[in-house]
Amino acid sequence: MANDIVDPFFSVSHFDGKTAVRRKVEIQTIGQNFFLLENERRHGPYTFDYMHFVSKTKDNISYGYEDIDGWRLTLSGPIPEGLKPLLPATRTYGSWIDKLGLGKASVAFIAVSAAVLVVGMTAPQWLAPIIPQSVENSLGDTLVGDFGGRFCNTPDGKAALAKLTNSLDGNPDDLQVEVVNIDMLNAVALPGGKIFLFEGLIQQAESVDEVAGVLGHEIGHVRERHVMQGLLRQLGLSLVLGGLNENVGGVLNSALSNSYGRDAEREADSHSIRVMSEANISPIGTKGFFEKLADMTNEDNDISEMTSYMSSHPLSTERAAAFQKSFDANKDYKPALSSAEWGAIKSMCKNDPDVKSGFGFDLFDE
Amino acid sequence: MTEDTKKSAFQFHGNWVDFAKIALVNLLLTIITLGFYRFWATTREREYLWSQTQFIDERFEWVGTGKELFIGFIIIAFLFLIPFSLLYFFATIINPLAAGIVYIIGLLFVFYFVGLAKYRMLRYRLSRTYWHGIRGGSDDKGFRFGLTYMIKTTLGFLPLGLANPWATCELWNERWEKLSFGPNDFQSHASYNSVFGTYLLSYIFFPFTWVYQARLRRTLIDGLRLEKLEFAFTASTFDWIGLIIVDVLIVLGTLGIGLIFIPYRHWQFYINHLEAYGEVNLDALTQSQTAKEKHGEGLLDAFDVGAI
Repeated sequence: MANDIVDPFFSVSHFDGKTAVRRKVEIQTIGQNFFLLENERRHGPYTFDYMHFVSKTKDNISYGYEDIDGWRLTLSGPIPEGLKPLLPATRTYGSWIDKLGLGKASVAFIAVSAAVLVVGMTAPQWLAPIIPQSVENSLGDTLVGDFGGRFCNTPDGKAALAKLTNSLDGNPDDLQVEVVNIDMLNAVALPGGKIFLFEGLIQQAESVDEVAGVLGHEIGHVRERHVMQGLLRQLGLSLVLGGLNENVGGVLNSALSNSYGRDAEREADSHSIRVMSEANISPIGTKGFFEKLADMTNEDNDISEMTSYMSSHPLSTERAAAFQKSFDANKDYKPALSSAEWGAIKSMCKNDPDVKSGFGFDLFDE
Repeated sequence: MTEDTKKSAFQFHGNWVDFAKIALVNLLLTIITLGFYRFWATTREREYLWSQTQFIDERFEWVGTGKELFIGFIIIAFLFLIPFSLLYFFATIINPLAAGIVYIIGLLFVFYFVGLAKYRMLRYRLSRTYWHGIRGGSDDKGFRFGLTYMIKTTLGFLPLGLANPWATCELWNERWEKLSFGPNDFQSHASYNSVFGTYLLSYIFFPFTWVYQARLRRTLIDGLRLEKLEFAFTASTFDWIGLIIVDVLIVLGTLGIGLIFIPYRHWQFYINHLEAYGEVNLDALTQSQTAKEKHGEGLLDAFDVGAI
């Protein structure tokens, strides 16, 4: 049964794993078992099934043996035909790829990666509606509270604001619209149907129609559930990118998650245009607002809240054009509120003795 | 076995065409797997580099696996990165102060993990490196070294950064003295005395930083011993500058693709400048008895610096 190896170019060396001495040996195979013959010594018996591939170079292939640390059998030169089928498989790219072949494996990887990307990128859109409104509401309450006492409140002002909200939304009970005593030209929608119009926006608005357009836009964010999507996106990005590389993660995270993204802003704009049209409010004021934004960013960028508002919203001129286009000359537009009501909103922060000032507030400064 | 004095004990036999075949496929596979292949890519590159590196009469063998590195990464991700990211995310929702506290705690953790990883990297690499069927390793898990690292690094920076060379040498020595190859413990006696002057000059004239960095690496490796073997590193400041300039030219000239050759070039640089003197008694070089998990998938044992 013994198999004599005769090829002069074929040689076998062996380390037993116990000491570093190299042993020149011959392989004596007996069925699935083998011995290693070294001069007068015989090592073994060993079983081919317990051998595993370790490494290969141009000239050598090395095998290890289960449970014997450092045991090596290194074959040099052409392997005898009788030995080949007994040896374990080699490894090149990794066992999965080797089994499939590089080409097929690559196709499979591309397919899986594409699927992962699609699912991952759209996840916030289909996850957001699954999250119960009650969860979003309590999240909103924890996040915002009373905003450090910065909500402006006078009976007339609140009544006017409620009237404006009612005219833009058929079911306004789950919305909480506030004027916040912070001098920023901005407005935000937060979890739980909270919409904040900042005092700076109110004061710089040339007409109540302008405020109506912005409010309609923020209501659009709430109704389309962009807020929860944005939160989920931010959470997901901080997990995925944070897991790969802190620095790159940080930069990308803020770049990608800033506000809700342009598509969501367009959706919110069309929502605003639709509800304004239903309420018979002219879109021209809002158009003016965006032109103002465009002018200011064209001139100089010293005003930081301006640029932060701009960075995630579609180009202001483009948005102004969308509002302009929705203007219908035959329509009998009415002002969104009477001038007394508009005055009540404008003076709400000034006339509220309890409201705290906006200085030192840094929740949105990060 | 005595050492031939004319020839270095370390020889590198690799060539860049063979390496390119590995590195380019690695790059493509890493891209199409959204980065996940990189653990197997690292392993393939190491298998090649180790197998082309000869010490005296025999080449090294890398037996680490991509799976090990991947598991190490997953452990770090689930034990630290994901919980911390979630915590930080919810802390920012609650209030800025909570976020600040979470952030500082996170930084302290990272500080600790960097020290731990610097040691674990060496331990992992030694335990997966075989020569003549013998490997290295250590039974010390390095958890205390993580603390020492935080303390000594901080002490090193405190007096205007003046004690930096001291901290670097101390930490290097501590790491190596925990490690062994076969039955023999490493000894490490790097002293900051020989680099301190250059370090001071680098405060006055910036380019001396390079001289310091080159001299520091020579000092660290020159101080290493393994039984009757002494090691030395011969790369001068100009050798280093040359290496870096060519690196930059290659990367720029290939519009970034050349980045994949950097591991090859640096490995070759280290091996070409690495020397060993003394003798190795093969009969007495017996197998390491240090702890090694059956398939090398022991939890934290596997995490490599690449994972942090």
